[in-house]
Amino acid sequence: MTPAPARLRSLLSGLVLGAALLGGVSACSGSSADTAPASATVGVKEINVTIAAKSVTPPPGRIDVTKGQTVRITVTSDVADEAHVHGYDKGASLQPGTPATIEFVADQDGLFEVETHESGLQLFQLAVR
Amino acid sequence: MLLAHGVGGRQDLPIPFSAALAGAIIALLVSFAALGVLWTEPRLGGTLARVRPLSGLFQRAVSSNGWAWTWRIVGLVVAAYFCVGLVFGPDDVDNPTAGAFYVLFWVGLVPLSLLLGPVWRALNPLRTLHLLASRALRRDPDAGLRPLPDGVGYWPAAAGLFAFVWLELVAPDRATLPVIGIWLGAYAVIMLTGAVVFGARWFDKADAFEAYSDLIGRLAPVVRRDDGQVAWRNSLDGMSGLRPAPGLPVLVVMLLGSTMYDSLSGAPVWVRFVQDSPLPAPVVGTAGLVLVIGLVLGAFLGTTALAGRRGATEPRVMAGELAHSIVPIAVGYLIAHYYTLFLLEGQRTIALLSDPLVTGADWLGTAGWTVGGLGNTPAGIAMLQVTVIIIGHVLGTVLAHDRALALLPRRTAVTGQIPLLALMVLYTVMGLLLLFAA
Repeated sequence: MTPAPARLRSLLSGLVLGAALLGGVSACSGSSADTAPASATVGVKEINVTIAAKSVTPPPGRIDVTKGQTVRITVTSDVADEAHVHGYDKGASLQPGTPATIEFVADQDGLFEVETHESGLQLFQLAVR
Repeated sequence: MLLAHGVGGRQDLPIPFSAALAGAIIALLVSFAALGVLWTEPRLGGTLARVRPLSGLFQRAVSSNGWAWTWRIVGLVVAAYFCVGLVFGPDDVDNPTAGAFYVLFWVGLVPLSLLLGPVWRALNPLRTLHLLASRALRRDPDAGLRPLPDGVGYWPAAAGLFAFVWLELVAPDRATLPVIGIWLGAYAVIMLTGAVVFGARWFDKADAFEAYSDLIGRLAPVVRRDDGQVAWRNSLDGMSGLRPAPGLPVLVVMLLGSTMYDSLSGAPVWVRFVQDSPLPAPVVGTAGLVLVIGLVLGAFLGTTALAGRRGATEPRVMAGELAHSIVPIAVGYLIAHYYTLFLLEGQRTIALLSDPLVTGADWLGTAGWTVGGLGNTPAGIAMLQVTVIIIGHVLGTVLAHDRALALLPRRTAVTGQIPLLALMVLYTVMGLLLLFAA
């Protein structure tokens, strides 16, 4: 069902990720944040989200991030609210119309939901690998 | 679930997803063909006389009165500790209550029951409270005010399970203390009232967590026989010993269907659908949960009716007789779905449990735990997920085949199972697609 190039790509990325994370995960039980000089070459991941009339733009999806990469999330909401990154437990209070920024190093692999507390909207899912 | 699921997505599979899917289907077809040729007599679900009792000191220890009371007291102490955070802790993300309830308890019951049998029956603090109250009043705990009608079957447990999965997967603010507290309060009142009216037997058929632990525990390699002896046994014999009862098909299908809904509800396409819908999210979520369970149930009832027609058996009889074959499928799916959640959130919750009042205390000495992958790689997790799903379906096929041999006429015993094989393939494909929905 899947076209051949996609298949090949997923196979390759699976192998590469598997090999990379074999090292990464075993190191992560120790000191997690400082073990990523290799991936420090990757730039900052900028994610911009706007909430207007309880509608999220861009629509919620899954955003891939490399483990060790810095993530900068900018949220602009039309109502006062609280944005929260699950798992990392990072948050920012949102004032109407004023962009708020959450910045952190994605040093734990996993799938993490980013959402607002008052309106209960999911903004996106952060897939850290 | 409001908590973070871990890695182990479609991209993490070291083989292409289509290959995993094809492998799963081939495994089912090959086992079906092999069973048809090699397994020609019903062998499972026989008496427990064939099992091998454990010997010596250990047998005496587990058969003693002190053993039972030890676990009852453990259950009471753990429940009391849980209530500290629930009742007195602050309602914030550092409170361990939601993680302890949804992850350590609900998900943790799967491995515990799978290894040791129906553990919640031994630990259930409500059962113990009822027992203590009965003793204090010099009443027989098994004697209620009236007998529990046989027609009730597993329906109360099925209703309780639905109430739980609705709370876990749909309810608004489900990770907050008032919501968890109200749900548990209502559950405790219903369980204890039922026990007073119908006696302790009420817990067997009405306590969703006991029923859940009992269903999964039938796959355990150990069993306590009616004579109290603990013995090794074949897991498939244990599973095959699950006899039909009213509400049983709905109960087992709900285990599978609710977990499938949880997979679906995490997929971005479903999140977008819910958030774009003009209806409130809990309404759409409830409809989605009911719909997924309904589809899984419809497929089960439809195919068992078809298989029953071949053997000129009542469709309802067939559904009840084959309900046990769904349990290993549901268990495989539960493990695949919750493995990373249990691994990651479980560690985090154990750290939080050391400080249930969030005052900076460290009562258990685990407050400093950091969450680690414990050697799990995304590729390893993804392969484990596919593997347990396949094992669950193959075991389901074996159980269904053995039961079909006993129920269907010899001539149609194998061909009569073709609808069931189609059902297993359908569940496998849907399960893998949903699990890796992304």
